[in-house]
Amino acid sequence: MNAEESQGRMHTLVRRFIHLIVLRPLMRLIFGVYTHGREHLSEQQQFILIANHNSHLDIILLFNLLTLDQLDRTHAVAEKVYFSRYKWLFRAVEFLYQPIWIERGTATREGDPFEEYKQLLDAGHNLIVFPEGTRGKPGVLLKFRSGIGRLAVQYPAVPIVPVFLMGPDRALPKSAALPMPLSNFIAVGPPQKLDGEHRDITRHLEAALRDLARAVSRMHQRERTAQPPGANTVAVLGIDGSGKSTVSRSVAESLSESQSVCLISDTLEFFNNSLVRPLQPLGTNVFREAINRAAKNAKSLKLYKIPKLTELLLRNQLYYEIRRWYAPDKIVMDGSPLLNLLAWVVLYRDEPVDQATTARLIEILTGQRSPAYPHDRLFDQFPELKAFWLLKLNKQVLPEAVVLIDVDPQTACDRITSRGEARQVHETVEKLVRLRASYMNVMDTLSTRLNVATHVIDGNAPLDEVVEQARAAVGSADQGEEADE
Amino acid sequence: MMIARIGILVLVALTGIGFILRTLLVLKGRDVLGRSYVNYTFFLLVSIAFAEFELHVLSLITLALISFFALREYFSLIDIRPQDRIAIWGAFLLIPFQYYFVHIEWYGMFIIAVPVYGFLVIPLFIAMGGRQAHGTVFSIGVIDFGLFLYVFCLGHIGYLMLTSIWQPVLLILIVTISDVVSFILRRGHRITTSRVILIYLIPLPITVVLALLLREWTQIPTHHSIILACMIPMLTMFGRLTGRYIKYDLVGEEEPLIASQGQVLDNLRSFFYAAPVTFHYIRYFLS
Repeated sequence: MNAEESQGRMHTLVRRFIHLIVLRPLMRLIFGVYTHGREHLSEQQQFILIANHNSHLDIILLFNLLTLDQLDRTHAVAEKVYFSRYKWLFRAVEFLYQPIWIERGTATREGDPFEEYKQLLDAGHNLIVFPEGTRGKPGVLLKFRSGIGRLAVQYPAVPIVPVFLMGPDRALPKSAALPMPLSNFIAVGPPQKLDGEHRDITRHLEAALRDLARAVSRMHQRERTAQPPGANTVAVLGIDGSGKSTVSRSVAESLSESQSVCLISDTLEFFNNSLVRPLQPLGTNVFREAINRAAKNAKSLKLYKIPKLTELLLRNQLYYEIRRWYAPDKIVMDGSPLLNLLAWVVLYRDEPVDQATTARLIEILTGQRSPAYPHDRLFDQFPELKAFWLLKLNKQVLPEAVVLIDVDPQTACDRITSRGEARQVHETVEKLVRLRASYMNVMDTLSTRLNVATHVIDGNAPLDEVVEQARAAVGSADQGEEADE
Repeated sequence: MMIARIGILVLVALTGIGFILRTLLVLKGRDVLGRSYVNYTFFLLVSIAFAEFELHVLSLITLALISFFALREYFSLIDIRPQDRIAIWGAFLLIPFQYYFVHIEWYGMFIIAVPVYGFLVIPLFIAMGGRQAHGTVFSIGVIDFGLFLYVFCLGHIGYLMLTSIWQPVLLILIVTISDVVSFILRRGHRITTSRVILIYLIPLPITVVLALLLREWTQIPTHHSIILACMIPMLTMFGRLTGRYIKYDLVGEEEPLIASQGQVLDNLRSFFYAAPVTFHYIRYFLS
């Protein structure tokens, strides 16, 4: 008995030594091993670890996570036939990893298939389980087998730790004979303790691992999950003098209490925790501001048109750059380039534009639909569209939510005068009336035909009330989303 | 010379202690694998220390390891297709060759190994991978570019070491000073043109004095020392800018889950421009 015990202790020491001095440094030298959230594992007394399975490297990597004490008490599942091809390999794996050997195809044997697992768990040992059951396609998470749920039902006190491995599917895929030195990333998720039926538990665990996978694997260029343009974007529309820049600024500020918000207005600002954060200047923005000044000083409608158009298009470009460089949770736009453009069409033509045409224009300009150039009659109707199409400017952003501040044109004109700024060429009552009607038309189109959340706010009220209403409108849109999820 | 040796020994000892401490912390389950600036610069200094003690082979092996780590990280961040595996193996195998040419001081081969033979061999390997043609040009460009930056450009530090170890020491010290100044000045500020000029100008007095002080050991005449001391911070800025763009493209937005990604690329980006240009400047004017 005593001799056996001391031999066992000797084995433990040798095993730890080999892991620590040989295996781990070697893994680090050949493959980079980056871990996140190790503390989730090292804090646990006992755990069941679930991970995605893509490669034979998986187990070696997972053993990298364990502390020394956990090394001897952790067991993974290994296929006996695969490792029995060489005797030395079988012995090495048996000694270093103490796996639970399984033989495929013999699942029909009598008794509980989890007998061995249960013995180990009862003895206070840890388990490493691959709930997908097989290595599957590289990089694809398969549907979980039900075993993990059944096990969790019987051991509700043992926390289940989801771990996502990224990289082994590239370093040593199923088809490859030789591993390739590529970095591996291991993300350990928060431990889960679940009650309920085994199906629900399985489903819940699968969702947890998928969440982890999504968080980790957002990086690959060609696979990077792209948000559709316009997602999480709020646009504040209104005729000049409706106070939309003030409203958009305060909306951005109030939204930024719990998330980061970028405001694209005449200036570019970034809010986080209701505070303005410094930004690096973007070349596009500097250029845009210069053009904006030029437009504001224009003497005639014609001279106003080109700089204003450029400014709008640059604003659109800026949207993509902001998403790329600052990645805010939400973007608040003071005026949407696309919608402003559509509303402004009216100022330059006599007949009104009907809703169907507006909807088609939006679809074309956002790239959702390609017209048959040059036969489509829209091109005759709107000569400007031809230029847009040929210059490939059909990547305009359609915001997710739109707020229109509806102001009586006369009031707006008075406000502009009282501001004391030089009046811009189009800021006359007659033109503002037409512009307002056109905005209403666009808003109707958005809500009836394109399923965009729209809110019309009465802007004749004092500014504080308008701001309050706008905040409420945007906030309600937010809550609606959460309820959907 | 004695003082210099002691200084280098102290640096190496500090690196070793740091490494052991980190390992101990990791074993305890603590995450200390965050981004640390000094990591790979120390690695470079260790490599120079080997050179100082006439262990050129070891110093080149250390440099080759840095190239390998950088290339590995780069390749794990780009998208590769299954058939690019041969080419990537080829890229890794070019590292020992490149440093072997440095070791035997075969300048002609060292300077064309990657831009001629490497760039010819990689497309061939990719074509040999077969299967599908889609994405071939992208793969060729991406793999060749990594080879160029992380093997060819960094390899110049190794060649610089052969003439006098003090020249790479000067290069690394100036780059480090410039990086540290930039790190301090950039923190929490908007980057404006005037600040960029400031980031360039502030390290200049320090680097010029340093270059003049080390003049006896580096064997660089006074006026060339001053020119180098003014030139290297500028090149470092170019490298930082380019490196930042490359990293943003590869890693994308900063995410807490993958904070350690791009660590090696971050640490080495300052040398992309500084190492080759300094080497060729010294080679053209001073030898």
